Amino acid sequence: MRPRARKQPLVAARFHGEEWSEEVGRFDRNSPARVAAERARREIETGGVGLPWLACEVAGSDGTSLPNCAKLYLPLGEKGASAAPFGFVFQFVKDSDHVYTLNFIAFGERHPRNPATRTVYERAHKRLHGRYPE
Amino acid sequence: MATAVKKLDLHVGELVEIEGRRYEVVPARDGDGLTIEPPITPISELYAKRGMSPASAEDFKGILGGLPTDGEG
Repeated sequence: MRPRARKQPLVAARFHGEEWSEEVGRFDRNSPARVAAERARREIETGGVGLPWLACEVAGSDGTSLPNCAKLYLPLGEKGASAAPFGFVFQFVKDSDHVYTLNFIAFGERHPRNPATRTVYERAHKRLHGRYPE
Repeated sequence: MATAVKKLDLHVGELVEIEGRRYEVVPARDGDGLTIEPPITPISELYAKRGMSPASAEDFKGILGGLPTDGEG
């Protein structure tokens, strides 16, 4: 049974330029991936929709380890891997003012068709740990 | 005329620059050799510049511990 994602934003989600550029800027401007990411960011930053947050896996079956991370599937509000093929991953952090936020760390495909393409979870793992999972 | 092959002695984690753009040497996803891709800056480097730090597991559990999981990643 699909878990019911929590609809209330618990803490603010934040996007910084470096992560955004590396994760989203690598896609062509009119690609479905980039369009989905930019639209979702606007929706998150304006709080226009309930955000169906899910917790990431501390020890995923794919070898990834994403402790203290949460994710959103895109397009927001869509369900199922085919309708929502992309994901955002955020890490729970304290900023310089000791305020808790969810910091954006990775964007990509959840289940890439191309076997050479890294999943959003593998990209998040590499950003956290400095290397891809074994 | 055959194209000359430029042999490079590269290892995982090294950065190369091609026409002004940097790439990182990483293992190919299928495990067969190496490939290059735009680098993913470690989050620790970015946080250090911004005065940010990862929250503790206790804080995550206390504030976001009720989030469901779906086993995907």
